Amino acid sequence: MKISLRLSQRWDASLLGAAAAITCAGLIAMASATNTLNPELAVRHGVYATLGLLVFLGVSSTHYRRWTDLAMAVYAISLLALLAVSVVGTMRLGATRWLSIFGLSLQPSELAKCAVVLLLAHYLGGQPKPLPTRAVWISASLAGLPALLIFHQPDLGSATILAAIWFGMAWVAGLSRRWLVALAIGACALLPFAWHVLKAYQRDRLLAFVDPHADPLGAGYTIIQSTIAIGSGQLFGRGWFSGTQNQLNFLPERHSDFIFSVIGEEWGLIGCLVVIVSFCILLARMVRIALDISDPQGRLLVTGLFCWIGYQAFINMGMVAGLLPVVGVPLPLVSYGGSSMVILWLMLGLAHSVQRASRE
Amino acid sequence: MGERLLRLQLMLLAAFGVLVVRLVHLQLVHGHMYRRLAEQNRVRLVHEPSPRGLILDSQGRVMAGSQTIFRVAVVPQETPDLASLLAQISPLTHRSPEVLRAQYQKERSFAFVPATIVSYVPKETALQLEEARWRLPGLLVKSETVRAYPGGSVAAHVLGYLSQPTAEELPRLKSYGVRPTQLVGRIGIERLLDDVLRGTSGGLMVEVNNRGKQVRVLGAKPPEGGGLVILTLDVQLQSLIAQALGSQAGAAVALNPTTGAVLAMVSSPSFSPESFVITSGDTVRRLLIDPQAPLMNRSTVGMYTPGSIAKLITAAAALDQHVITPHTTIVCHGALTIGDRTFHCWNQDGHGPLTLPEALMQSCNVYFMTVGRRLGVARLRAAMERIGWGRRSGWPMEEQPGHLPSRRLTEGEVAMLAIGQGEVLVTATQAAVMASAFANGGSVVTPWIVQSVEGRPGPRPVSRRIGWSAATLEAVREGMRMVVSHPDGTGHRAFTSTVSIAGKTGTAQTHEPGRPHGWFVGFCPVEQPRVAMAIVSEHGGSGGDLPAAIARSICEYVSAAETL
Repeated sequence: MKISLRLSQRWDASLLGAAAAITCAGLIAMASATNTLNPELAVRHGVYATLGLLVFLGVSSTHYRRWTDLAMAVYAISLLALLAVSVVGTMRLGATRWLSIFGLSLQPSELAKCAVVLLLAHYLGGQPKPLPTRAVWISASLAGLPALLIFHQPDLGSATILAAIWFGMAWVAGLSRRWLVALAIGACALLPFAWHVLKAYQRDRLLAFVDPHADPLGAGYTIIQSTIAIGSGQLFGRGWFSGTQNQLNFLPERHSDFIFSVIGEEWGLIGCLVVIVSFCILLARMVRIALDISDPQGRLLVTGLFCWIGYQAFINMGMVAGLLPVVGVPLPLVSYGGSSMVILWLMLGLAHSVQRASRE
Repeated sequence: MGERLLRLQLMLLAAFGVLVVRLVHLQLVHGHMYRRLAEQNRVRLVHEPSPRGLILDSQGRVMAGSQTIFRVAVVPQETPDLASLLAQISPLTHRSPEVLRAQYQKERSFAFVPATIVSYVPKETALQLEEARWRLPGLLVKSETVRAYPGGSVAAHVLGYLSQPTAEELPRLKSYGVRPTQLVGRIGIERLLDDVLRGTSGGLMVEVNNRGKQVRVLGAKPPEGGGLVILTLDVQLQSLIAQALGSQAGAAVALNPTTGAVLAMVSSPSFSPESFVITSGDTVRRLLIDPQAPLMNRSTVGMYTPGSIAKLITAAAALDQHVITPHTTIVCHGALTIGDRTFHCWNQDGHGPLTLPEALMQSCNVYFMTVGRRLGVARLRAAMERIGWGRRSGWPMEEQPGHLPSRRLTEGEVAMLAIGQGEVLVTATQAAVMASAFANGGSVVTPWIVQSVEGRPGPRPVSRRIGWSAATLEAVREGMRMVVSHPDGTGHRAFTSTVSIAGKTGTAQTHEPGRPHGWFVGFCPVEQPRVAMAIVSEHGGSGGDLPAAIARSICEYVSAAETL
């Protein structure tokens, strides 16, 4: 009795459990996805997950304020890293997003997301409600600068995640309704110009989203193959290692951006629902934690993470299912990628730290 | 702040809700369709055609078999410079670059599918092109197994040819596994026994990856080759007759008089069945519009006025009905007047007094016109019917029944009928059946040609006895013997010292004066006949000329051949 109470006090079961469930689902799917691709990747993915868990255990024992105090430093490092990428970055699949350090690929955009959450939590936490105009502009710039650098890589998807993080955090921090309307009008006005800012391949992806069969072997290929994969899973899926779209190479990027298709094909609707429900539980838990803490910085930190994971998960699963145009955004905790996995678990550790702080 | 966070959560939950709806739509509502698409992605059916069955003659010689031919194709997506490629292969293929390009435009489909630009090149050319491929990117020389007819045009009408199924035939044939691009038989044996000769296609069910590369074989069904067909024909005899006829239009049928098995069936002009397989539609079109109708099997479909060969029936009927005896003498003065018309014998001075065998030997019109009138149209017509004229003989392929008059005839017309003129038409096959009747002692045989199919003997039709007496037959045979052996016999051209031949010539007047059909019917050896024959040369002149000469060749071959 006493032991279990202490245990549940030491560890937040829902948070850890949901995140672990998602990560495990990812490991299972990764094993199959990399089977005919490069089985070594599955091993590496497992190593990253373990590393993430260790980081979680470590960070959750610290106080989150320590991290938000260091936000500026982390932010500066991430900006440097982003600049470094544009200069000496590794080009892969037409985008320069990675830094190669001692054989390891690091993705600075993930660090940037972490830095922005920390910095905005730190900054907006000290602002009154409703947010003064100055605060809106400063916070937007703080988020906008790395967003621009990321957009330049080019990585449209991750840039929009920063926008979502900023918006969610600003909204919870007290963004006035006037600003909301202004932003909405501004976005609509800028939309036609947005088309011109987009690169050719990004435009192709938008067109392919509208009608994938217009270019079935080109831009529409990925969406067509992905929907076939998911649809063919039906209720219970085709079985582990038995997805033909997966094993026979019809699905591109199936270990990274399109890993959800593998889940859909091999584990069916049941598998997809397990992942979605796990995300819902995780996000609901974060909302609970945010509501329980009184410290605005803590609340904003968890809010930022909520926006990050929620928005990114929805964008990825939506694009894989053909609901949204293809943007290169991985599924949190599931897609292959060491930087993303470790940093997300770090943020989860911070969220756990917030939860612990709220109990005191 | 709290409520705003809850609102964010609600929005996200709604978004996930939409996502779930989408997943349900994909996986449950249309799951079956996507499952099928996934299968279509990965499963390919590779068709393996079955080799067509062989057709052999009675001695085991191949009449229709297989050969490997070479075609020249171009793969569009691998050809950087089409004009240069066509220019380079033009001299080798003996076609101008314009012709090649036109064919390319016609045949081109997907970029990765080879477009055939030359449907046949000889092996040497194929090898030359293959050697030059390194400097001709996009060129492809492919080999294909197609039907071969070693005899060329020799037995084309009997064998038939192949072509693609028509839109009307396809639905029925599809249920037998025939594909639209497969070739099926038209006319002749190729058509009659097409379902046996076709065999059964096989196939491979193959799993492919996204590059279309074979990953593994999921299932295989080996093709079943077409069944073996053996005919009663003798290809050497067939060639001999075809060569002798040459460019003269006409037909010739040689039967085994006892069984009715067809030993040779020649129709001229002929065609090359291979031209339907390895050349373009031009050759085929020319055959189809040729006014000489080379695709028509004149042996069974060509109806000709019989002329004097009908006298054999007149003679037999009259003897059988005791209207005359073999010794009945009638005097020929060169002409006969019936009513207000005068009919001339071919010898204007008259043959003088003739007995029956002599009248046959000299083919005297007056004698037989007289006999015919005494016999009467009813009995004359009945005899012609009994010997199979005026109706189909039971031949399993295309055939015409010939024609006998059914209306009331005038006296003059009856006399004409007795000498095979007027409203009477027969095919070479019917004439050969008539000759067989005199050879085999008075039975009407049904001609047949399929010896065995897949080892099982073909149907053996029965013959019918006419009921003529031995004396009747002997008297007519005596006359037929003299036609050939006697120097004054109209068929003396057929005489040879190697074998005894009995026959009857005919020179049938047609609508074109001065251009009669020439006939020879007969059998040999006379004592124990091994072959009965009928040869007709279309507007080819006297039956005593070319047809008789051909008859001699046939008989010399038959007497020398050990087995037929």
